[in-house]
Amino acid sequence: MANLPVQGINALFSGGFIENEYVHFNKLSALVIDDISAMRHAVRSQLQSLGMNKVSVASNANDALELIKATAFDVIMCDYNLNSTSSGQHFLEYLRNENILNATSVFVMLTAEAEYSFVANAVEYIPDDYLLKPCSESKLRSRLERLIDRRAFLMPVLKALDAKQYDLAVTECNKLLDIAPDARRRMDVLRRKSDAQLALGDHLSVLETYAHAAAVRGDAPWVMMGLARTHYALGDFAQAAEMANMLVGKNKNYVAAYELLAKIRLEADDDEGAFELLNRSSVILPSARRFRSVAQAAFLLGKLEDAKSNAEAAIQLSNGSMVEKPDDYLSLAQTQVDMGDHKCAIETLEKNARKHGDVGLFGVAKGAILAQAYFDSGDHEKARKLMERSVSLLANRTDSVAMVALGKAALKTGDMVLGMKLLTQAVQVSGQDERIIARHVKKSMIDTGHADKVEDVIDGGRKRILLLVDEATKLMRSAHFTEANQKINEALGIHEENLEALMTAAQLHLLWLKHEGMDVRVVERAKAYLSTLDKLVPNNQKVMNFYRFFNDIVSN
Amino acid sequence: MQNPLSALVIHDIKNALSLLEIDLEQLNHRKDTPLEGRRAYRRCIELKTRLVSFLTLYKHDQSGLQPAMVEVDLAEFIEDLVRNSQSAMMAESHHGHQIVVHADNERMKPDSAAGGFGMFDENLVELALESALNNAVRYAHRRVDVWFEQEADEIVFRVLDDGAGVGELGELMQRKIAEKSSSTGLGLALCKAVAGAHGSGSVRLESVSGGTLFTMRLRAAG
Repeated sequence: MANLPVQGINALFSGGFIENEYVHFNKLSALVIDDISAMRHAVRSQLQSLGMNKVSVASNANDALELIKATAFDVIMCDYNLNSTSSGQHFLEYLRNENILNATSVFVMLTAEAEYSFVANAVEYIPDDYLLKPCSESKLRSRLERLIDRRAFLMPVLKALDAKQYDLAVTECNKLLDIAPDARRRMDVLRRKSDAQLALGDHLSVLETYAHAAAVRGDAPWVMMGLARTHYALGDFAQAAEMANMLVGKNKNYVAAYELLAKIRLEADDDEGAFELLNRSSVILPSARRFRSVAQAAFLLGKLEDAKSNAEAAIQLSNGSMVEKPDDYLSLAQTQVDMGDHKCAIETLEKNARKHGDVGLFGVAKGAILAQAYFDSGDHEKARKLMERSVSLLANRTDSVAMVALGKAALKTGDMVLGMKLLTQAVQVSGQDERIIARHVKKSMIDTGHADKVEDVIDGGRKRILLLVDEATKLMRSAHFTEANQKINEALGIHEENLEALMTAAQLHLLWLKHEGMDVRVVERAKAYLSTLDKLVPNNQKVMNFYRFFNDIVSN
Repeated sequence: MQNPLSALVIHDIKNALSLLEIDLEQLNHRKDTPLEGRRAYRRCIELKTRLVSFLTLYKHDQSGLQPAMVEVDLAEFIEDLVRNSQSAMMAESHHGHQIVVHADNERMKPDSAAGGFGMFDENLVELALESALNNAVRYAHRRVDVWFEQEADEIVFRVLDDGAGVGELGELMQRKIAEKSSSTGLGLALCKAVAGAHGSGSVRLESVSGGTLFTMRLRAAG
């Protein structure tokens, strides 16, 4: 780094922009998102005077979303305070969750002073940089130069990530690690490498990457959080909790750590503890997603008042925005039914949720909850009609959430056979949500006076399958592939379409190929598992990642 | 400003001022901008800096500053501070000649374990150091050096100017007085407030061989 004498006043006032020797702003495109027109145009003129020719503007998240989907912007400058219901942070969270934001796009959050400390404490969905607004052009220039410079170094990796070629991304990271000139660059690369390995589900390798990063800088929060998450994924809850607690000790607003601790509490069947941790994170960083988790945890604990207020908060915060979820109305209405308030439940679904219609799986669950409400109000005829409609609407589709609602309604309205059948199936098809669906099923049965049959309905061979999958996972992670395969085969023998067993089988075979080299039989089996999964859960992100991983391995 | 209306008005003024600053900044890119346009830009910057400093100190007095701790690369931070310093940019108008402001790499000492990264509120610290730089630039003859020194539990920022020679305590005293009454510098008070907000920080202004040294110490978080 060279000493930089500051340009004198004449140099800065001399007009025109000073061309940077590395960053060619005239080749970059940008999007400015701000609801205040004066601010939007001010930032745009600053970017233009840096030399950017292609600067688009948007006054709200929805317009911005359309633009981002159509164009891969090099730079996105987003105001934190978009409008009363959605913030730049929500927008970023949405873009990352839906995989809309390119890895090659630099995302800069602009904030006012009052919001800054709140914003800078966000840990989970962090932008590439924060800028206190409005900032001078020279500050904007130096920040963007650094960001673009870092991006240029990472470019081969970012391109591979955008193409979802995660194995290639790892290879590119390794090349860059050999030439990274300093600790900061090395950490940048290691972070992307861990992202790619996580996308591949390769926990064995990601641990090595974190260890490497910890050797460069052990106290970097993302390294600690990554380690905590990996320990959790590997089933080492004690170590995961220790790491997460260390993070919380350093920063009491570290929401992601609270959320991981909540998951660990759940594993220990400490629902109360999990609820409190989730509640705390929703207070620190309110979002519709967090209110939803709190509402669900409260509902399962029978804390109906808390469930209600959090479901209402989720609806209020997301209403009219892109993170809106019609299911929030279902949770609220089911809670209201359980509180004995059938009037409000009917109003929630028939009036407030009207815009979401009553077809599809939403219609199935909506009809089922309405049936419960009308049944409670004494209108059994209406309840019966609603049930009939929902059953025919469900047809032979399998969806856990709709089936739980319908199963509960059937039990409540006296159709034992249908209720038991639906709830049993709900657990069987629940795949990765098995744990949470099982809890809902259990609660539905207890609420309707069938506590004695919980075990039969929930189990249906499930416990044995889970146990076997668990054992297989442990064997797989210690690289005992043949032994792991035996366990998986046994699990699939009980229920050949059990998603958890199939996912583990696919992952096992991919790691097998990666670590032990090519073997035709293993390749064939991997292919078969992937195609079964593709049929059962089409377009599943995880399965698609498996496919890419598989193609990378086979093509090498 | 406990009155919500006053708070609203003040922030409205600050935002309007900031927009004005951007307009003037863009105007000043033109070669044919008249002298008055350049002066207006300078005044606008001074006014905004004064308002932001005042608001920061006011917040410190009322409810205490709550620093937003973020991870900062210290060398980059100093480099950017120097490069974007508005005081440095405007030095010529005070002196009639240029003052060279250096990010002094020779003196920068990253701690081996922390690797030159620190946790602090970069906006608050930038505000404080900019005010120290403003002061240094005013009294410098030719040159100001800026650097950091990092120890296990402490980050030290230094601003050295070649203004006051050895033993010229009179000038130092004068400067301290000017610091208190100066219309632009809410200076040391602001620096002290910022250092204090980061735990047990401290601020010191002393006469050293060949100049005057400003030192701000922050206790490293951890």
